[in-house]
Amino acid sequence: MSMELIVALSMAAALFGTGVYGALSQTNLVMIMMGIELILAAALINMVAFWRYLHPEAMEAQMFVLIVMTVMAVEMAVGFGVAIARFRSRGSVEMEEAQELKG
Amino acid sequence: MSLQVFFLLAFGGAAVWFGIVVFLTHSMVRSALALLFSQTAIGAMFLVMQAEFLGVLQIMMMATEMSIMAIFMVMFMMDPGGLGEMDMKHQRKTSLAAGLVAFFGALAVAVFADWGPLATDIPDAGEQVRLLGFELLGRSMLIFESAGLTILTAMIAATALAVQARERGAKA
Repeated sequence: MSMELIVALSMAAALFGTGVYGALSQTNLVMIMMGIELILAAALINMVAFWRYLHPEAMEAQMFVLIVMTVMAVEMAVGFGVAIARFRSRGSVEMEEAQELKG
Repeated sequence: MSLQVFFLLAFGGAAVWFGIVVFLTHSMVRSALALLFSQTAIGAMFLVMQAEFLGVLQIMMMATEMSIMAIFMVMFMMDPGGLGEMDMKHQRKTSLAAGLVAFFGALAVAVFADWGPLATDIPDAGEQVRLLGFELLGRSMLIFESAGLTILTAMIAATALAVQARERGAKA
């Protein structure tokens, strides 16, 4: 049993759980984005841990980390774009006040 | 306990603690700073796992990203300092249950799965960068280029969203 891998994956699991709680419990758009950032960060830890402890010869894993970092940046950019649009039209980014988005 | 396990626990614990602080504090600026510390601790975990390039990249990228986030927090929040102790949470029990299920589910997989033997030989930092360069500009070039194109698309989309909203406001 590889202790290092299990410790890294456990920390990622804790961060993932925290992120899920944050993304679901917060009413502010920017805070929801913070929860999603934590979820993606947990995915990053998993990928680096799998690369380091299982297949250090496979550099595709590091490439995937770069792609997830890109996803994090894109999520921030588009999220803030939506936040600006929402703030300018409604004066708030509180998702409790976005009931009209309900299907 | 090996030194690597000790530092993984220390930096991992810091990352998780600051991650929790993000949602505990009433101050939005403190939330952004806590997220910055959490992401920096994750970067330190990468360094402990001997992924030096990715660790430094994570720390530098997240420092910039969280600084921008803190600025947006001050811009958009009615109470960025948290002095009014506004409550910004809803569906607490459901969220907590979902978070716990996610945590214990992932933990069970981490602990009970058979991961096989641990790899011992690992390329040094310089060799890793060289191999990653060959990977990015060789076999995975199309995927790498797609990432660049995705960022460009996101930049245009974000700008278009913001500009259109301003024009709509001006007409109204």
